[in-house]
Amino acid sequence: MTNELAIKAEGLGKRYLLGGAGKNHDSVRDLLVDTVGSLFRRRDPQAKSANEFWALNDASFEIRRGENVGIIGLNGAGKSTLLKILSRITEPTNGRARINGRVGALLEVGTGFHPELTGRENVYLYGTILGMSRAEIASKFEAIVDFSEIRQFIDTPVKRYSSGMYVRLAFAVAAHLEPEILLLDEVLAVGDITFQRKCIDFAKRLQKQNATILFVSHNMFTIKTMCTRVIYLKKGRVLYDGPTDEGIKRFEDDCRLATVPWVKNSKDMPIEIIGVELADQGGREKTVFDHGERMTLRINYESRRPVATPNFIVVFSRSDDVACCNYTTETDHFVIDQVSGQGTIELRTPPLSLVADTYTISILVREQGFGELLCAQLGGTFHVRHEMFDQNFGVFHEQAQWRRVDGAPTASANPPANLKVVGATDVRR
Amino acid sequence: MNSNLSAAAQRTVGPVTEIRPGKGLLDLDLRSVWQYRELMWILVGRDLKVMYRQAALGAAWAVLQPLFAVAIFTVVFGIFARMSSDGVPYPIFAFSALLAWTYFSEAVRRSGTGLVNEGDLIRKIYFPRLIISLAGVITPLVDFAITFIVLLGMMFWYGVTPTWQILMVVPLLAVTSLLALAISLWLGPINVRYRDIKHTLPFLLQVWMYASPIIYPLSMIPERWKAWYCLNPMVGIIEGFRWAILGKGNLDLTAISVSAVLIVALLFGGLIFFRRMERSFADLI
Repeated sequence: MTNELAIKAEGLGKRYLLGGAGKNHDSVRDLLVDTVGSLFRRRDPQAKSANEFWALNDASFEIRRGENVGIIGLNGAGKSTLLKILSRITEPTNGRARINGRVGALLEVGTGFHPELTGRENVYLYGTILGMSRAEIASKFEAIVDFSEIRQFIDTPVKRYSSGMYVRLAFAVAAHLEPEILLLDEVLAVGDITFQRKCIDFAKRLQKQNATILFVSHNMFTIKTMCTRVIYLKKGRVLYDGPTDEGIKRFEDDCRLATVPWVKNSKDMPIEIIGVELADQGGREKTVFDHGERMTLRINYESRRPVATPNFIVVFSRSDDVACCNYTTETDHFVIDQVSGQGTIELRTPPLSLVADTYTISILVREQGFGELLCAQLGGTFHVRHEMFDQNFGVFHEQAQWRRVDGAPTASANPPANLKVVGATDVRR
Repeated sequence: MNSNLSAAAQRTVGPVTEIRPGKGLLDLDLRSVWQYRELMWILVGRDLKVMYRQAALGAAWAVLQPLFAVAIFTVVFGIFARMSSDGVPYPIFAFSALLAWTYFSEAVRRSGTGLVNEGDLIRKIYFPRLIISLAGVITPLVDFAITFIVLLGMMFWYGVTPTWQILMVVPLLAVTSLLALAISLWLGPINVRYRDIKHTLPFLLQVWMYASPIIYPLSMIPERWKAWYCLNPMVGIIEGFRWAILGKGNLDLTAISVSAVLIVALLFGGLIFFRRMERSFADLI
């Protein structure tokens, strides 16, 4: 029984024509002539066009009932296109797919909410949009309101809601979908940490009911906890399909030393990064660090010509591409006379004060005085782990000194950061 | 283990979806529209709630708008220009036609621009896009009903007694909404590509209004041009409404038949066109 297929995709492809809306019609008349013509002409799926772009190309896979599959890949690799085809929002250009079971697609939380309507009305509206019947929503209404934790505002127009309340209500509706096949696009990335836990719980509850889940995410950590199998897409093609650990490794290896996306011509750069190693203070290689831990970063480079006084720059960027910190040899007054041929340089960070998230490393080399760019590559990713400090606490978190200046006696001094954190989480449990 | 098996067994009954490119020309898949009828009704309900809740005067707008138009037309055409009204008080003469026209133009406007206005939904959710067009012609029916009651009140005031023919308003209204739907099946997809439709539409509708016997009677059109004039499908419909409401004259069967043939052709062609274009909506909006 469990071998039965939930999704079978054969050669799915989606072509977009660049430069806006299909062919460039100059006038409505051209459009009419063309469209009437195309009604009677068979489309040639192999027809080539100079400005065409295959967002998805020849994707074939089978997903068994009850499987939880993560879809990974860089931006523009075709992940969202795949979900859009499987949820029938857009048609494939070629190929076919067969889906066995009731599909629930969550490509965004709260699509279709209307600000003028009350929370109650929006529950019915959004529930119907997601594919629930009126009777189904009515029977789950109380549970939805309880889940959202905003019962007292349920008859208030949602335009008066805070964005947090809005998302909570929308997700409460979505979480009461009972699809056999769930298509999830990065929706778990919104909201605060308690909310995210609820989302994970929702997915896990569906897992227990033997639902099939297809899950697109940039967050490898979530993929690891949720999925046993990943499909790795690169430039629209399925590059890997198999066990999660191997797939993530392939993906991260691939991203590791690629040129950073904003650099246009990387061919002429004289310096190339040929390897990056991450380790803790003891020299053990790893990619998951605790908040407050020091990181050792070894950069193996190769310089095609001698470069005098290069400035090595290491940037950590958050999962939403915000650059969070910057270490440079120049500002740290570490002078490198010259590089030529192969070599290794090591950076030891101060205790990481970044909040919990996934970070991408970029390695840049510039001429002295932040001059010409000599190298710009990605150096892989790492995770920072912390029970409490996440994006809600900002970019980084560090301990500060507090005291009362109104004359009242101070009860106790600040405990050290690590102790305080452990204590806090213990109390919460 | 046992419960797992039974759960799995239950699921085998679930629906099967086939996804493939470009279905056949005549595969209109109207069954899926039926399956999604609840969503259509909830969209209609949403639009009505929003429309009447946002405006300070609420439902009164539905009454005031045609009343203003009737008042203006009465002053300009009935009093100043002394337009013939076939022996009926001019306000009633104009109102009986404006009732149908106001519904028609609002239905075309809503239905024709609905796809773009629901862009968020189309980009993120699957449903047969046709229900947006359908909802667009259903929503203004409520305005029609309110206006119709006002018209009955005015007829009472002017001493015009309706006959049994007034029941014919119902089938005529159905024909009007089919025409509005047919028009927007063509306009909607074009509007997705060329947003100028939104700006051209009010102008087109205004021209169309003056090309229909609303402020003047059909009898004013010279006989030799009448055949051409009746190619406007609204001619038969408007005359039909007048006949039904005022109980005067004969139902112009030629005009009505022309309307019917045009509507069927536009509707069928529109459905094929819409289905054809529907595939790329999510990519273009």
